[in-house]
Amino acid sequence: MRAIILSLAMLLGSNANAFDFGSIDWDKAAKVVQKVKKANAEVSEPQEIELGGGIASSLLGAAPLLDNPPLQNYVNRVGRWIALQTERSDLPWHFGVLDDPDINAFAAPGGYVFITKGLLARMNNEAELAGVLAHEISHVLRKHHLQALQKGARRELMTDLANDAIKSHGGDERLNKLVSAGTELYARGLDKDDEFESDRMGVVLAARAGYDPYGLPAVLQTLQSINPADSNLALMFKTHPGFDKRLELLGPLMSPALDGFEDQPDLDRRFAAVIGIQK
Amino acid sequence: MKKLLVWCCAFGISMSAWAAEEAYTIRATELKSRPYGDAQTLATLPARSKVLVLQRRSSWTEIRAGENKGWVKMLSLQLAQGAAQRRAENGLRSLFNVARSGGSGATVTTGVRGLSEEQLKNAQPDPAALRELERYAANRRDAQRFAADGKLRAQRVDYLAGEQ
Repeated sequence: MRAIILSLAMLLGSNANAFDFGSIDWDKAAKVVQKVKKANAEVSEPQEIELGGGIASSLLGAAPLLDNPPLQNYVNRVGRWIALQTERSDLPWHFGVLDDPDINAFAAPGGYVFITKGLLARMNNEAELAGVLAHEISHVLRKHHLQALQKGARRELMTDLANDAIKSHGGDERLNKLVSAGTELYARGLDKDDEFESDRMGVVLAARAGYDPYGLPAVLQTLQSINPADSNLALMFKTHPGFDKRLELLGPLMSPALDGFEDQPDLDRRFAAVIGIQK
Repeated sequence: MKKLLVWCCAFGISMSAWAAEEAYTIRATELKSRPYGDAQTLATLPARSKVLVLQRRSSWTEIRAGENKGWVKMLSLQLAQGAAQRRAENGLRSLFNVARSGGSGATVTTGVRGLSEEQLKNAQPDPAALRELERYAANRRDAQRFAADGKLRAQRVDYLAGEQ
């Protein structure tokens, strides 16, 4: 630490002779370091989970959980198994099916992942579910939502949160504002590049978990066939790059890299049994 | 209908196998006898050929194109608009039925809630729902047992580097 202060002091070194240690203002240098540290402070994992829980609660205020415990348990097992194959396997992962006909899926910081009934109903097998959950898990792994908040209008509050200036559990109004901003992000969407990155990571995570890696592209292909005027897709279209583009980018990356995993199961029958498909 | 279902299960035919969906090729595409790159090429379908989707297996889709039946790369197809609609209707119907017979008798308030932009902006927290969500969480052992039941085996796979 002393070395950093020293070199900073030298950089900022007014007109003093850099080798004249006697003239260094240690107090001033330490303050500069503190300031730099503050601006770059990262939200800790407990803070991330707290914020994510707040955002998840708001999202559940917008769309309720589907009242189907066996299905909720099933989706949690698929999701948790995938999460175990990642660099953040110890997060308290939670997965939920929303009782909403909209076609969408959401992730919140700290390991909260949601999928709508409308999207689930359009899937054919467990590998497709795994692909979508893996895409959302990737947003959490890469902290895409946290970064979006740090870049957005609430960036000062994010700095306060990172610096422990916001007291959790105390009903701090600033935390509520961050939760609102985090929930509104779902209406605006992330950077396109974040979506493409999550696509690339999602297919790999599905393969790591032992699934057919083509579940995610298969879902994108299904959604591509839905009439773009369908109102259930309105938010998805507004907040995500087009399905054509996503498939166009994924295809060449997946083959030959993932060719060796093509024989992994898609578990269509286990999925059909849980969804209760009656044809 | 029930008989058909039993028949399908008995012969191990996947449910999606007989729900043929219309699609067309988005580029000239080789039709293979089997779902492998080195399988025999039966024909080359020009771009915009209309086909019927029979089933998908990983990156391959089995199709019927006129007299021909065989496998093409999944990503050389685009499903016709509305092709997946029937599946969605079936899925939604069953999810709705299961949900209704689920038993907790929860009433759903409609009209106020939803995932539109406006509704997301005005969303109010629902701590009770969050607690319910937490009850469904799977722990590490649950997940591992579930994976073993499905014969899912964890693999080492590196992330794919982005390009462009």
